[in-house]
Amino acid sequence: MTKKEFKKLFQNRLILLDGGMGTLLQKAGMPAGVCPEKWAAINSELLKDTQRKYVEAGSDIIYAFTFGANPLKLSEYGIADETYALNKALAEIARDAAGKEVLVAGDISSCGSLLYPYGSVMFEEAVEGFKKQVKGLLDGGVDLFVIETMMDLQEARAALIAIKESCDLPVMVTMTFEGKRTLMGNNPLSVLVTLQSLGADAVGCNCSAGPAEMVEIIRKMKPYAKVPLIVKPNAGKPRLENGVTVYDMDAESFAAYTEELVGAGANALGGCCGTTPGYIRRVGEIAKSMKPVQAERKPYSLACSNRKTVEIHGTLPFAVIGERLNPSGKKFLKEALINGDMDVVSDLAREQVEAGATLLDVNAGVPGIDEKETLKDMVLEVCNSVAAPILIDTSNPEALEAALRIYPGRAVINSISGESVKIETLLPIAKKYGAMFVLLPVDDNGVPETAEKRIEIIKRVYLKAREMGFSKEDILVDGLVMTIASNPTAALETMKVISWCKKTFKINTVIGLSNVSFGLPAREGINSAFLAMAVANGLTSAILNPNNQQMMQCVKAADALVSRDKSALSYIDYYAEKNRRQDNTSEKAEKPQDTVLKCLYDAIIKGDADAAGEMAKHALISGKMPKEIIDKEMIPAIQKVGELYEQKQYFLPQLIRGAEAMEKAMAVISPELERDNEERIESKGTIVIATVKGDVHDIGKNILAMLLRNYGFDVIDLGKDVESKRIIDAAKANNADIIALSALMTTTMNQMPLVMADMKRENLNCHMMVGGAVVDRNFAESFGAYYSNDAYKAVKLADEIIKRNKNGG
Amino acid sequence: MNDVKVIRSIKPVYNKDLIMSRLGYDKYRTNLSAETIREIERLIKKTENIMDITAAYRISGITQIIPPQIILEDGTILSGQKLSELLKNSRQALIMGATGGTKVIELIERLQQEGKMSEAVVIDAAASEITDSALDFVMAMVEQYLRPKGMFLTKMRFSPGYGDFDILQQKEFYRLLNARDLGIMINEACLLIPEKSVFAIAGICHEQG
Repeated sequence: MTKKEFKKLFQNRLILLDGGMGTLLQKAGMPAGVCPEKWAAINSELLKDTQRKYVEAGSDIIYAFTFGANPLKLSEYGIADETYALNKALAEIARDAAGKEVLVAGDISSCGSLLYPYGSVMFEEAVEGFKKQVKGLLDGGVDLFVIETMMDLQEARAALIAIKESCDLPVMVTMTFEGKRTLMGNNPLSVLVTLQSLGADAVGCNCSAGPAEMVEIIRKMKPYAKVPLIVKPNAGKPRLENGVTVYDMDAESFAAYTEELVGAGANALGGCCGTTPGYIRRVGEIAKSMKPVQAERKPYSLACSNRKTVEIHGTLPFAVIGERLNPSGKKFLKEALINGDMDVVSDLAREQVEAGATLLDVNAGVPGIDEKETLKDMVLEVCNSVAAPILIDTSNPEALEAALRIYPGRAVINSISGESVKIETLLPIAKKYGAMFVLLPVDDNGVPETAEKRIEIIKRVYLKAREMGFSKEDILVDGLVMTIASNPTAALETMKVISWCKKTFKINTVIGLSNVSFGLPAREGINSAFLAMAVANGLTSAILNPNNQQMMQCVKAADALVSRDKSALSYIDYYAEKNRRQDNTSEKAEKPQDTVLKCLYDAIIKGDADAAGEMAKHALISGKMPKEIIDKEMIPAIQKVGELYEQKQYFLPQLIRGAEAMEKAMAVISPELERDNEERIESKGTIVIATVKGDVHDIGKNILAMLLRNYGFDVIDLGKDVESKRIIDAAKANNADIIALSALMTTTMNQMPLVMADMKRENLNCHMMVGGAVVDRNFAESFGAYYSNDAYKAVKLADEIIKRNKNGG
Repeated sequence: MNDVKVIRSIKPVYNKDLIMSRLGYDKYRTNLSAETIREIERLIKKTENIMDITAAYRISGITQIIPPQIILEDGTILSGQKLSELLKNSRQALIMGATGGTKVIELIERLQQEGKMSEAVVIDAAASEITDSALDFVMAMVEQYLRPKGMFLTKMRFSPGYGDFDILQQKEFYRLLNARDLGIMINEACLLIPEKSVFAIAGICHEQG
């Protein structure tokens, strides 16, 4: 079957696929633990009969039983060398069952291991494995292919590329979604856009979910789908009842979703786990009277990674393309790439995305390195670090193809010019991998200075691209920014191109911003002004430094000014919060004395350490005595924090922030106490604190130490993995009132009674309190220690112990 | 017993509510300002970005279960009454482990040294939850591979150190998973280092049809 014939199949009708096979064969006697494909090939009549049942139920397409007939999967049974033969045989059986009227799809699924960088299977290894399967299926007479139950978009790409490089048969691809995403984090739109751009003839979802969940997935895909959409749901959720798997939907309740699925946009329907020919028959009966929905497809310029799609359009917020992953002018990045240090790449990727970049430009152009391998490494590193899609910035065809092949999404090529060699070499690569591209209006005659000449090149390249099947949505036109230092009209010519692209040609645009100010001082000013003007003329995206605050403010302001940020909501949200924080700080500084003390109290309650420090200074300046500040404001404040925590109105981070604010204020006030020879704040007691020997968990212990200090105790913190002798020695030397111990393991908590025994042997006049995830009251009391399950309660317990001690209790 | 399979750079889906719960958040009583919420989310994101999560798993046959003992196909004996109850219908076991790497531990320590305990405590809670979620990922992935063969995982998994499943049995998991190759060390007290590391076991049930 040709791709054209396949497309025609879906015109004005719904297609019925088959249903679950594994369960049926198990019911027919397939034992657990065997290789299903091998067993089925041996029991060919049984397999044929089962598949025929789907033909009789009305399936238009049945799947060959080759789901797991991949060399890697077959190697688990020691029969990888039978890949070709098995696939061929199983395709022939399906062919036999299907007869002449029903189509047979060669079924390809996961190789059973994750692809690099997550697993050990390299991309090309996966492609080669799938090709072995494809060859057998082709020789077995399949009409088309289906790639199904894939949880990783990259693995689905590997299978799709394997098929494309082996034949021209149509390919359907269905991924398996756990909720809104696949297990590897791929969302429905990324899946659709990547696979249909790469050449899949139908896309959809199967397995893992029932029909209800799949309605939403199809609904998300439909507005952007250029190909038919497929659903093959499970019969609801499975459960094991007396060793038998039971699915919670019968045929009637399963088929009841047919209307909703078709309404959402499904063109082909079938079933997966738990479904039988009866389910398919029922779906067919309902679907017979229905027609597929002809949804209005949105033209889109969508780049995507495996986890995120970014749409570029003049009505949407400006697309910022981060420029910093380009080694030109960056010595540190050059060195990192030469040394293969990809941590630098991931840091730069994250910094740019956190600063607001929606896409990242990736360039590996360093003289003397293997650009192809470096670019591949960079592409994978960026993909692993951030969800933002990328521009692959190279004119090296080999490097470009290698990067596009490995990129698990839909990238943008930066760039393809009107030079004949570029059109001849790079456009076919873009086509093969379904990439978008930046059209650079430069040709064999060089860089045109005028807008008119650039426009001619744009039209010419576009026509060539259209012949190859590209549309305007697949292209971003580069306005071509030259420096005004050497050509005073350079900026204006770029504006003309951008304006023509927006108003006349209706195509998206991009510029490499900083070129405009090359050679001039105060570049930021020129860059910002140019960017704002370009946006007003219709510019949709730019390659710039997102970590430059002035540029990003310009982007946000421009979006608000041209109403791409409706009612400037995003601008207000971003900048109003910043201003509010600044206002708060400056306001407090001018307040009168009483209000300063109130602000200090509030700062500790709110956990604002900076404000607490500031207000403590102002309180001293205003003439208040240090001890009075501590006794009347700070201690009540930290006590209030504790109360709020006990009432669960505060949770742990808020309790600690209160303590941090108290510490900051105390750091300001304490030196003044000494200077004024005021009565010192008396310590409530001395506590030696440690995590026991063999245990290195210490964050709980550290929190307690901090709180104890803030609540007026002297604390000697011995750290973690501390021997008993050291604890005893410290308690003796400091005349400790309490030894506080922490342990988080059942294997280490037994150190606690040993320390208690040492305490008694040394006749130490001190108490012990213990805590930690595995410790409980019974354990503590068994050797005479106090117990607390919470840092704040431990502070109160310490207070109680010491008071009782003083009162002779 | 199948070979150990290693999965690197996992980005598990984790439940933020569980992170908040670890921090003592009570949705009915705890008041959080918008700024605090944003800050918590920033720290959780920071944790996610800095963690380099690696997991490993292998499938082992279960030769015999005589409660509380479970005997694996290589002769390893695990012991736990509740564990043997969990695995009673299983002919195989999924043995798994995950580690969040050293960078997040270094970050937590550094923040404490810098006096940023409130940040450290959020990152610590997030790191624990995210590491645990890596095992959810492993189970979901393995179940995808098992389902077409008519096999399923038990809903629950058990880790050494919980209930009557002695922490000392961490050593068996360490050996079975070649955990040293994952960058995990184990000390005499059976503490895993880096701290955000976890082992667990779930059962594989065969559908009888």
